[in-house]
Amino acid sequence: MKKKLLNTTIALGLGVTCTLAILQPSYAATPEVQIQIHQGRFIPSEFEIPANTKVKLVIINQDDTPEEFESYDLNREVLIKANSQASFYIGPLSPGRFHFEGEFSPMTAQGVVIVK
Amino acid sequence: MNSKIQTYKALLLCSVFIFSPYLYAAEYLSGPSDYVYSPIVEEGEREIDTKFGTQTPRNGEDARQSGASIGFGYGVTSWWFTEIYGKAQWEGNNSSFDAIEWENKFQLTETGKYPVDIGFLLELERPQNRNEGYEAKYGFLFQSEWRKWQANLNVLMQGHYTGTENQGTYFGYQGQVKYRLQPEFELGAQLYSWLGKVNSWNTDQQQQSSAGPAIFGKTKLGNKQALVYNAAYLWGTTTASPKNTIRMQVEYEF
Repeated sequence: MKKKLLNTTIALGLGVTCTLAILQPSYAATPEVQIQIHQGRFIPSEFEIPANTKVKLVIINQDDTPEEFESYDLNREVLIKANSQASFYIGPLSPGRFHFEGEFSPMTAQGVVIVK
Repeated sequence: MNSKIQTYKALLLCSVFIFSPYLYAAEYLSGPSDYVYSPIVEEGEREIDTKFGTQTPRNGEDARQSGASIGFGYGVTSWWFTEIYGKAQWEGNNSSFDAIEWENKFQLTETGKYPVDIGFLLELERPQNRNEGYEAKYGFLFQSEWRKWQANLNVLMQGHYTGTENQGTYFGYQGQVKYRLQPEFELGAQLYSWLGKVNSWNTDQQQQSSAGPAIFGKTKLGNKQALVYNAAYLWGTTTASPKNTIRMQVEYEF
């Protein structure tokens, strides 16, 4: 009986933790960075964002072919269809340089997020 | 505010493995080739997914149980990934086709928008043993990251319906923590547990739970192609659990 009570309490605790985490109210002011994909290149290919801040990346693919934003440093892999756009969030990050590339055209589509 | 977010993230990361030892599982429903689901969906991703696992029973008189599956998966949209599997099982020297399974994963939140990414799993299985009717597994998938750490916690229900064997709905969870060391090699741990029937959790010694170290990685094979793997060695933590389980998954993404 005690074990069941403990299990229930812990399960509820996990649920509450997740709910609290999701309901964090700080995202209204999330900064946004727009990146274009043009002729297999990211424009800009380098940009700065503040440390310890969540940032929304909007990737606009102007090419007639799809591209995949891939970054092990940022732990993101996102497909951007031809003549389309996709968005996702990165951070909060510590100061440093975080590389990303276009998986479908890695020779040209290279970029760096500089966190200061 | 960021420190608050990090506090919550740290709490979630810790919760998987700090709280989990207290959450002893019940009816063992994890197959030897099960894996930890991620809520993240990648649109356009195609993969051939193979899984294999083998369990050493705690009772030396019982035959070793093994399972394997091969499937094809596709990221239909940025929020829906679907996969069809064929599953086989071995018990001692006897092998048999086990089931056909249809897995569907729905990403419910934008990647990284909240401290926890959330998804929903709906898996439907048609066992070869028709006495088992149909099996459904469903539940919420959670993932969080903090610096180079990533944690997953999935809360699942599983049941057999419209059959005569193994009927009822069971409640369980699975989790993993990993340190993203480098793309080809990451270190972590996994845990698989079932607490028992939804309306009647089992006592400690009827429960089954397995946990142990795991490795993960991804190797690029060329343009748009990659090999993704993870493997784990799991110890049973109760007397009703298998003595140990070795499980692995290899995906060819293209």
